[in-house]
Amino acid sequence: MREFAAIPAAERRRIRRAAFVASLPVLMGYVTMGFAAGVLMAVKGGLVHPAAWSALLAASTVSGTLSFAIVPLVADGASLAAVAALTLGINFRYAFYGFSMLGRWRGIPRLQKWFLVHSLADEIYALDLACRETDPLKHRLYCLWNHALNVSYWIVGTTSGAIAGAALPIPSKGIEFAMAALFIVILTDQVVDFAARAKERNSNGK
Amino acid sequence: MENEAARMLAVIAVGWAVTFALRLVPFALFARGGHPAPKWAERFGDFASPAIIAALIVYSYSGLEWRTAWPYLAGVLTVAFQLWRRNPLLSILAGTVFYMSVLACGCTTERTIEFDVHHPVVTVAPEGVYFADRRVRPQDVPRILDDYGVPRSQTIHIRVDPRLRHSPEPNFLMACLAKNGYTRPILVSDRHAVSETIGPVPRQFETWSRDDTHDPPPSRGASRGKKR
Repeated sequence: MREFAAIPAAERRRIRRAAFVASLPVLMGYVTMGFAAGVLMAVKGGLVHPAAWSALLAASTVSGTLSFAIVPLVADGASLAAVAALTLGINFRYAFYGFSMLGRWRGIPRLQKWFLVHSLADEIYALDLACRETDPLKHRLYCLWNHALNVSYWIVGTTSGAIAGAALPIPSKGIEFAMAALFIVILTDQVVDFAARAKERNSNGK
Repeated sequence: MENEAARMLAVIAVGWAVTFALRLVPFALFARGGHPAPKWAERFGDFASPAIIAALIVYSYSGLEWRTAWPYLAGVLTVAFQLWRRNPLLSILAGTVFYMSVLACGCTTERTIEFDVHHPVVTVAPEGVYFADRRVRPQDVPRILDDYGVPRSQTIHIRVDPRLRHSPEPNFLMACLAKNGYTRPILVSDRHAVSETIGPVPRQFETWSRDDTHDPPPSRGASRGKKR
């Protein structure tokens, strides 16, 4: 982290602020979605300590979709092979995100790189892409702030959801639909994007 | 509790390992050279990831009341909101709130909540005859099965409390079913016939369940986990 001393303190503050402001919409989304995932884990997971496991799951996978989809497997006591297969299917898209980050993250300290790769989730990736810093060092600082902030939102959301779900009689019947809805939204966006790109390609061709 | 810790640690470790490995793929593939993302990878991603998400929608619907129209209506509502406002949170909230309120109103009947057409189970206990968590008269069972749309050729399990093994109730129920064309009832002797079907164990059963050494009373966690 010492290398960031090369950036003036005021500039560092500006970058931190920019990362925070950019992350505000994700704050809303992550805390709410995380809350729903935590409640689901607490009421359907059949665990004694849902909050602890939700927090650990959130910190280790940083994958919203997985936090929802893993709940039935946890509840049914499914095999680890099933967990691996589900994770592979759900998070397969992450295998493509890194391609856009190859150049910008080349040659950075291993620990920082691992943290960035570890937390390369959908929204976080989108914010990384949207970053307009041209200086590689500043860009990296921005990315680190962006990842750290958003990961913390996700952890806070899932943990508080699990605590609330275990403690309060939240009406939970039918909350499973949140997972289906999440997938439906992702698919809708993908189809819309795909259609838009196809249209663009067509008009370019003409 | 230790079981839970060991299992959850293993589950989370697997989830983390697979997720991290996936995220690492591009960095591992192109650790040195300055290649841009290969074209084939982008193309593949364009098609593979919607296909996977579509499969996941099917998977998640299997946990819903998929025999009724409601989850599909909720799905349409979600898509509509997403196309209209492009706000994922709003769309998910709209669909979920709609679906939850439908369930809360009881718009889906027992037929779909507690009852599976392919595994109809009638329980005969000293307290009476139970079907789909309701106490019913034995002579009404064929009509109710018909209402639920159970085909006449369907195997129907009749769980009989062991204490009623030699009493006329099960036979009377069989006769009622046979008379109405349900020709494939199966008598199943089941010591848990009542406690599982109706929920809390009635007082007169308490000694019996305490003496039952085969199945210790489920812990809070286990009993919650078993649901589904």
